[in-house]
Amino acid sequence: MSAAAETRAPAPRTPAPAPPTRRPGRRYRAGRWVVRNWRDKPLWMLLPATLALLLFGITPALLTIWLSLLNLTVSTLREWLEAPFYGVHNFIDAFTEPSSLGVTLGWSIFLSLSFSLLTTVITTPIGIAAALSVHNRFKARGLVRAVYLVPYIIPGFVTALTARVVFLNGSGLVDKILGGLGITNGQTYWLIGPHAYWAMQLTELWASWPFIYLMALAGLQAVPDEQLEASAIDGAGKYGRLRYVVMPQLSGVIKLGMLLATLYHFGNFTLAFVMFGSPPPAGAEVLPIATYYNAFDFFNFGLAAAIAVITMVILIIPGYVYLRSTRLTGRVY
Amino acid sequence: MAAQPVTAGLGRATPKRHPLRDEPKLLLPRWLRRLIIVVLLIVVMIPVGYMVLMSFTPNQDVALGTISVGVLGFQNYLDMWSAAPLAAGLLHTVIIAGSAAAASVVVALLAAYPLTRFEFKGRRSYLYTLVALQTVPGTTSVLPLFAVLSWIQTTLSVTFIGTYWPIILTYMTFGVPLSTWLLVAYLRTVPRQLEEAALVDGCSPLGALRRIVVPMAVPAMAVAFLFAFLVGWNDVLFASVFTNQHTQTLAIALERFSSTNAIAGAPVYGELMSAAVVSSVPVVVIYLVCQRYLVSGLAVGSLAG
Repeated sequence: MSAAAETRAPAPRTPAPAPPTRRPGRRYRAGRWVVRNWRDKPLWMLLPATLALLLFGITPALLTIWLSLLNLTVSTLREWLEAPFYGVHNFIDAFTEPSSLGVTLGWSIFLSLSFSLLTTVITTPIGIAAALSVHNRFKARGLVRAVYLVPYIIPGFVTALTARVVFLNGSGLVDKILGGLGITNGQTYWLIGPHAYWAMQLTELWASWPFIYLMALAGLQAVPDEQLEASAIDGAGKYGRLRYVVMPQLSGVIKLGMLLATLYHFGNFTLAFVMFGSPPPAGAEVLPIATYYNAFDFFNFGLAAAIAVITMVILIIPGYVYLRSTRLTGRVY
Repeated sequence: MAAQPVTAGLGRATPKRHPLRDEPKLLLPRWLRRLIIVVLLIVVMIPVGYMVLMSFTPNQDVALGTISVGVLGFQNYLDMWSAAPLAAGLLHTVIIAGSAAAASVVVALLAAYPLTRFEFKGRRSYLYTLVALQTVPGTTSVLPLFAVLSWIQTTLSVTFIGTYWPIILTYMTFGVPLSTWLLVAYLRTVPRQLEEAALVDGCSPLGALRRIVVPMAVPAMAVAFLFAFLVGWNDVLFASVFTNQHTQTLAIALERFSSTNAIAGAPVYGELMSAAVVSSVPVVVIYLVCQRYLVSGLAVGSLAG
């Protein structure tokens, strides 16, 4: 141990470092290089990450709860420490009165839940089918896999802008096709009014199925070939192998993918924000949009914070329950 | 044992198999596989193709829906630079996302090293916290950050909002959990004997990290940099709050371009689409070139959220 490292190490909290013989049985636990002398562990290296996450990640999340209890408008924002305490009024207002956007919090919650759950439910079978379709080798498999990824890697704001043009009333691609086939009169008004939700939903479906595909593909690659061969020898057909050998092994990773995808759709701000004009139609006023417009267009920061708190509550409960119960805990060694 | 996503397979090659042994591994009948592939390729390519086609179509033809081969041309790609501050936006995006990504890789490497090499209390909790933080949506933290920054601005009479600092620090923070996870997954696969030797020979932990670990971790660091860079490249939320006309990113320049023209009633959808193509081409090209490395990174990243 060099003198330089000794000086860089943080001051000891306990004066005597534990001797290596104290818990000899755990010294090489799990093959890990265990350094019992804490001075040898450069834990100060965690400081920058911890500081950044505390200042820009955890503290803001906690601060939102405090802000949601204040009567915080554009005039009180700069002195928010002295802003009048408002109790749960922001929450009551959010649920009972339509905000300046014209919708209540209940509507936004319903929209967000519907938007995220529906997207996950529909994209999951598509993603699994896509993964199965390119799992086995064939010519041009690399190309197909690359194209599959395209909706996912195109930036979200580009997807939203393109959707705006694709769903243009009358002259957009969708209206042209629907009008040309005689299904509609070609004047659907996708971007305003009641159809806006479905335009947004379709766009999210298009953009997000490759996520489940990636998860399923990673899961498929972990299925040992030997198991497939053994089950084939035992007489399992294609369907049997898929249903009883592959699927049980995929279910863990797909459930995790579904959870993460739902959380992601729930927090998707970019799509609705860029796809629609300002203010967005009622069918697109999901929770992130409600938070943003109440804060930065109508300057009712307290109300926006209340909506953000509700968002966190809705997200944290299933996320926490799932993270506790999933085998993810087994993977984090 | 549940199926595991790829956790550390940066650039792992699949061994070649004998064709006769492949039969049991065919999971779907050939016709079904072909059907899925054809349908998905069509579904994926139609909007993308439409975007590219519209980017070559004059504005008024896009708005009216009168599309023909005769009107196609490169005019949009020339006009868009003066119609919207795209070049400036591109520059700001590169500066902001680039410095945020570089900082986040350094911070993440510093964190990943003790997290993989040493046992200490709270190590697991730290990794869980990183996963949990990934799931917090940005809309819940943009508001308090804005409130605190405007309060600091008023109290100390300095200017933060509109400068590069808040946006770079925010993107850096959002890049840290994923970068840390990528590097943790990679460092697990790197043997630690070399560092042990360096430490025994009197190298400090930081020295061992700099001289031994960094040279070996370059590929993972590159992947982490790219993902952290994309955080900034793709973000609209924080950029729309923390930047002004002088620092706005490409995404914001495009978003404002599209909304101001919608209000003005002179739609410039053609130029919008050519700008959209320009914004996606770098990302798509990088992905496709480095697909092998990035897809395993995506799997790790998705594991971390």
